[in-house]
Amino acid sequence: MAQVTSASRAQGPFRLTDEQEMLRDAVRVLADDRVAPRAAEIDRTAEFPEDMRRLLADHDILALPFPTEHGGLGGELLTVCLAVEQLSRACATTGLILAVQELGSLPITLAGSDEQKARWFPKLASGEQLIAFALTEPEAGSDAAAARTTAMRDGDDYVIDGSKRFISQGSVADLVVVFAVTDADAPRHQRLSAFVVEVPRDGFEVTRVEHKMGIRGSPTAELAFTKLRVPAADRLGEEGEGWSIAMRTLDRSRPAIAAQAVGIAQGALEVATAYARDRQQFGQRIGDFQQVGAMLADMDAGTEAARQLLYKACVEIDAGAPDASRWSAMCKLVAGDTAMRVTTDAVQVLGGYGYIDEFPVERMMRDAKITQLYEGTQQIQRLVIARSLLGKGD
Amino acid sequence: MRIVVLTKPVPDPASGGERLGPDGRLDRSNSPAVVNGNDEYVLEKALKLIEAAGEGEVILLTMAPDNGPETMRKALAMGATRGVLVTDPAIAGSDTVATTRIIAAALQTLSFDLVFAGVDTSDGVAGVVAPGVAALTGMPYLSYAASIDPDEGARTVRVKRITADGYDVLEAPMPALISGTQALGEPRYPSLKGIMAARSKEITTLTLADLGIDPGTVGLGGALTKVVDSRPPAARGATKVVRDAPDEAARQIVELLAERRLI
Amino acid sequence: MASIWVHGETAGDGSLTKLSTEVATLARSVAEGMGGGDVTGVVVAADPGAAAQELAMYVPKVLTLTEPATADHAAGMIVAQRLAALIEAQGPDIVMTGAGSEGRDLAGALSALTGWGVLANATAVKGAPDGPVATHSVFGGKLITESALTDGKGIITVRPNSVTAEPAGATGQVEAATVSGELQQPAVPIVDRLDAETKAAQIDDARIIVAGGRGVGGPDGFGLIRDLADALGGAVGATRAAVDSGWIPYSQQIGQTGKIVKPQLYLAMGISGAIQHKVGMQTASTIIAVNRDPDAPIADFADMIVIGDLVEVGNALLAELRARSG
Repeated sequence: MAQVTSASRAQGPFRLTDEQEMLRDAVRVLADDRVAPRAAEIDRTAEFPEDMRRLLADHDILALPFPTEHGGLGGELLTVCLAVEQLSRACATTGLILAVQELGSLPITLAGSDEQKARWFPKLASGEQLIAFALTEPEAGSDAAAARTTAMRDGDDYVIDGSKRFISQGSVADLVVVFAVTDADAPRHQRLSAFVVEVPRDGFEVTRVEHKMGIRGSPTAELAFTKLRVPAADRLGEEGEGWSIAMRTLDRSRPAIAAQAVGIAQGALEVATAYARDRQQFGQRIGDFQQVGAMLADMDAGTEAARQLLYKACVEIDAGAPDASRWSAMCKLVAGDTAMRVTTDAVQVLGGYGYIDEFPVERMMRDAKITQLYEGTQQIQRLVIARSLLGKGD
Repeated sequence: MRIVVLTKPVPDPASGGERLGPDGRLDRSNSPAVVNGNDEYVLEKALKLIEAAGEGEVILLTMAPDNGPETMRKALAMGATRGVLVTDPAIAGSDTVATTRIIAAALQTLSFDLVFAGVDTSDGVAGVVAPGVAALTGMPYLSYAASIDPDEGARTVRVKRITADGYDVLEAPMPALISGTQALGEPRYPSLKGIMAARSKEITTLTLADLGIDPGTVGLGGALTKVVDSRPPAARGATKVVRDAPDEAARQIVELLAERRLI
Repeated sequence: MASIWVHGETAGDGSLTKLSTEVATLARSVAEGMGGGDVTGVVVAADPGAAAQELAMYVPKVLTLTEPATADHAAGMIVAQRLAALIEAQGPDIVMTGAGSEGRDLAGALSALTGWGVLANATAVKGAPDGPVATHSVFGGKLITESALTDGKGIITVRPNSVTAEPAGATGQVEAATVSGELQQPAVPIVDRLDAETKAAQIDDARIIVAGGRGVGGPDGFGLIRDLADALGGAVGATRAAVDSGWIPYSQQIGQTGKIVKPQLYLAMGISGAIQHKVGMQTASTIIAVNRDPDAPIADFADMIVIGDLVEVGNALLAELRARSG
């Protein structure tokens, strides 16, 4: 007898709740009124937009991922993603502020003690403090388990030595979650532990901030740790649990990147559509030409498909689906590729105007690329999905 | 201070999907419902009053055949304390007389200092329910408020009522029923905190049986008025687009005015 | 034979409102359509004489009720109680009132006191053998409905400018009526009266309205609007945007949360015609818009749209109008 298809955990036909719709609309209004006017300047100056961070904090948007008992709003994964999507539609950098706040705090949510949550969450929820997630190293990107940063136990402390690279908001964060090797001889996925490093601190240095293709307002930092002492009380979970914490974190944080990608795609689609309506050539509006109309149609259908997959993935992950990794990887894979395709086509629709910074689509195209790279490259996402399909080989 | 705010779910005026079903009632499946625009102004005023007092409750009272809770959520997200929803399939198709009776009966189950209502609703635009409820409950009725100033100590309330010449300042003891207008001030957009908090706010449901109202006397069957026909509005003629220079355009305007004997 | 009563609404100075003359005219044609019937005016006021005399130009008989309390109390509930008592004594079938704020307060309270149904906010009423049929514009004008009373008795509120007032030709009789009994509903005293911020002509029943929107740019810009209104003999209206910006008082706002008007001419200067405003003026007989944007929604339902700068076109129009009047 044929197997029943997918093991969907979520019950009932899928639709957004009234609260989610209200929330989405509230963030959208804010994004249109206050974020969109700043987007071009943020990209041009490549400065971290403190005013946007304050805006998100003031409107309780940064409180979304945190539990209510610590000053958060207790939002589900889908709720957080709705907010990231609406913000990213206007400005990918601003959307990332919320996404990174969620990414960085997930290790604490998943593995932190009640005392640790009570200590760190309130200021993160209020937006007074920012948190970053430091896993990647110069020699450990896709192969994150090959990290070399070490954390040696010394009395009540750990001493961390090493470096991290490509850390989003690493230079503006107040807390940095650092993954370091505590047992070099342990099996591959048990070598790492996770630590929350409160900065500034002796031995912690931001050695570099990258000049990037896109999301230029989001500082991507190289961090150096030299005999950096952190209390053992700031370790998350048990020694050796670091790899597992990181992977479980990414399962829940990848959808936020997918949300960023969907937002970017939607923003580009809207600009291209408006242009196709207004621009006249050969005596008619260009949107009525089949080649342009077809492109817009594919952009719209693609964005909607990515969006629906994202929403479904969020609901499944929150419902505790056993194949959460597959959902997470799929939505990020599809959304990232869609954003790249839609923004590239948006530039194409605008023709020469799409290439100059008078229109935002060239920025959106540059912004979109990162969604195919960070929080696991598209190739890693495919690996995860294939493994889920085929079952673990070993 | 406890303020009851009457709110009505109406078809979203921006949606354009309103139409009547075969029985002459609004086909609610075709248009999303929102809180009536005028109700938002009085709700905002109620919220401001209890915020200024530092204590109090704003209770929403809605009568709806089915989709009350959704529209109540937004009003709860704005900051209302809780909601009371009178819902019963027999309510569908109720006229203003039945609506007035039902709301008056629901108010008898609550204790309050003030009742606020919007002056009219964007769907039927009748504007007769609020005074009717005042008459049935025997409360002082102060209408078309541009400002509302309660004096909790003296248990009175003052209202600036909009008239043709300006304003009449009215005063009455509490409890009183006040209908208000846009002049009361712009309603707040629900904050994220408010939106998330709304889900745990209480909505009490009342049926006609709870109110002791015979279903046969309300709804379509009990109505004292009935719709006998409906049609879309007559189409206006084509629009003449004038792109000429101002002087020539002005001449064309005057020509049209003269043609239609307006000057 | 139907018996129709017409409520004679009084203004602050005791005179009869224009709206009531329209309702009275309509009542006569409704009675005729119902196969004959008598039409009686009713004026309940502290000093009903002047209003009653004027109403008598439109209907064959007017009842007056002197009620001193209406001089310094909110009138609607008081008039409703007295009218309910008169109805009890004299047994008319239908009561017609205006659908302005006074008429609605009265109609709502009267409906509750009598148990009668209400055909509210009618833009037209015709008499048929079975009873009156009222026409309504609902859902912001997206639908026109016709409704009737199911019980033979009812209250009808009528919008301004639904008919042109026409005197009956003969002057009716004015008769004083009395009712006894205390007022049961709480009377709400008027403790003060304040003037409106500006002395602008009422837009509710204006024949011509010149309205300004966001495009006017500021309170000074409304000077041009006022000049145009004066030149055309009309009133000044505004959109919500202009009112929210503080350029003009709320009493002149036209739209969903302001006033709904039906003038013969609506001249819209710098108004986009978004739905919230459209519902307030879309039934005007002639709509002319001046706007810089050819894609403004108002272009879809105006009779004429002039694409141009409203100041330039407005001034040119003013010059033309002044030249014509010599």
